[in-house]
Amino acid sequence: MLSEIALYGAIETGLIYGLVAFGIYLSFRVLQFPDLTVDGSFPLGAAVAAVLIIDGVNPWLATGAAVLAGMAAGAVTALLNVKLKILNLLASILTMIALYSVNLRIMGRPNIALLSEETVLTPWYSLGLSYQQVPVLLFVLVMLVSLILLWRFMKSETGLAMRATGANPRMARAQGIATGGMVVLGVALSNGLVGMAGALFAQSQGAADVTMGVGVIVIGLASLIGGEAVISPRSVLRALIACVVGAILYRLAIAFALNADFIGLKAQDLNLVTAVLVTLAIVLPGTKTSIRAYFARRNQ
Amino acid sequence: MITAKNLTLTFGQGTPLENPALRDMSLTVNQGEFVTVIGSNGAGKSTFLNALAGEVLVDSGSIVVDGQDVTRLPTHKRAASVARVFQDPLAGTCEDLTIDENLSLAIKRGQSRGLTTAVKTRYHAQFRDSLSSLGLGLEERLGDKMGLLSGGQRQAVSLLMASLTPSSILLLDEHTAALDPKTARFVLELTTRIIEQQRLTALMVTHSMKQALAVGTRTVMLHQGQVVFDIAGKDREGLEVKDLLELFEKQRGLEISDDSLLLG
Repeated sequence: MLSEIALYGAIETGLIYGLVAFGIYLSFRVLQFPDLTVDGSFPLGAAVAAVLIIDGVNPWLATGAAVLAGMAAGAVTALLNVKLKILNLLASILTMIALYSVNLRIMGRPNIALLSEETVLTPWYSLGLSYQQVPVLLFVLVMLVSLILLWRFMKSETGLAMRATGANPRMARAQGIATGGMVVLGVALSNGLVGMAGALFAQSQGAADVTMGVGVIVIGLASLIGGEAVISPRSVLRALIACVVGAILYRLAIAFALNADFIGLKAQDLNLVTAVLVTLAIVLPGTKTSIRAYFARRNQ
Repeated sequence: MITAKNLTLTFGQGTPLENPALRDMSLTVNQGEFVTVIGSNGAGKSTFLNALAGEVLVDSGSIVVDGQDVTRLPTHKRAASVARVFQDPLAGTCEDLTIDENLSLAIKRGQSRGLTTAVKTRYHAQFRDSLSSLGLGLEERLGDKMGLLSGGQRQAVSLLMASLTPSSILLLDEHTAALDPKTARFVLELTTRIIEQQRLTALMVTHSMKQALAVGTRTVMLHQGQVVFDIAGKDREGLEVKDLLELFEKQRGLEISDDSLLLG
């Protein structure tokens, strides 16, 4: 089974990907805007935070700057779509590709090590907790604050206007909602969350790397869809909790699959396992009802 | 008061499918009037309504609402003065949101939206009051998703939402056409009741001449993007569908060939 290190590690990264899943919930579910910018805004957040941290900036300020950078990236994608009328998926791919260059420019090299730098985690090690427990505790706190803020926002007048924009844009306009502005705000917020996740990921892993964004969108979607399969998202709060639960379950499933020697999987199989898990998460909720129907027929 | 002056709008200009929808059309609607608009398919009724709402921008002409020129304004910037009910019962509400969330969206129509809670407790009494006036028992279902309601119920709520905050004009775009006859009658009765009680200025597009004469204070007929006749007050009293047909033929020297207009 899982070692303690693998267990804490899975929860730690699960919590970070939970933030990514929040972002993807905002774009894919609330705004119905399939946004692939995240593959670029995740390493963007990491790059901005890493560069500022090695320059001696306070790590929390550096993380805040990563959020702003992520928001700017999201705003570019949304403006390409809203103002220049480029198809949303394509607009996000354009920003994602551009960000690869931007990230290299920001970092000045393909990767930056943060192992000896002061990060948001450093002060917490003096609390007497084990090396694995510290990031879990800190990220649980970050996750809780983000969840509550995001939940309150979705329940606010502006948040409700954003939900209406995604669900029924024509009705939203008739109610006086500037739907274009809502898309820009929502996609920016979404990528701000992803930028924060990237910054925290770089600090907990001890490095920022220009390729660390590859597949983040799939992991985020896997968490979102998996979470929805476990907790039906009847309300905003349930949907947000589903994101976190999905992300942690996903990391646990990956850790289990890679640690179970009898299956024979290795680290290089990670993407294959992800694809299989996403497929299962999409297909399983449907089969649950058809299995029930099968037994109902048999019992007649 | 709404003044539409010399509106011209051509779809697909410069293409083989060029289609003039409004041709130098003018109409003034006074405060408190309830105008019914009829016309056959392609007469320009819906285009005229969409032009007033801002869904389409006219090629030329001007639209002035209560002294403000809104000709070039997009839909969301006109929403403070223009309320609207769509033909599709599913279009006017959000099915993923609850009933009270939908009403809370409507209560802020055309106003700025902040970060305070959208569904405020002080709204609840007003929501319950107006919902109970529908007689559908919806006041007990404020927390239900809109998608659980039938088309007729959703259209009734749309109507309520459109009248929750004051507007300069209420636009009704064949809003009973997609409902079954019984529900259509209910929604139409509700419409006249709300318009009378709140003394709203309204413009209702309808496909049925009978309906156009049965409700409202004034009837306008459109044909090929222009007003063919416009009757109100004494001239309109006691008129029947056949009188309208005569009027139309006298004006145009044409016979009406659109069956749905006669049968509706």
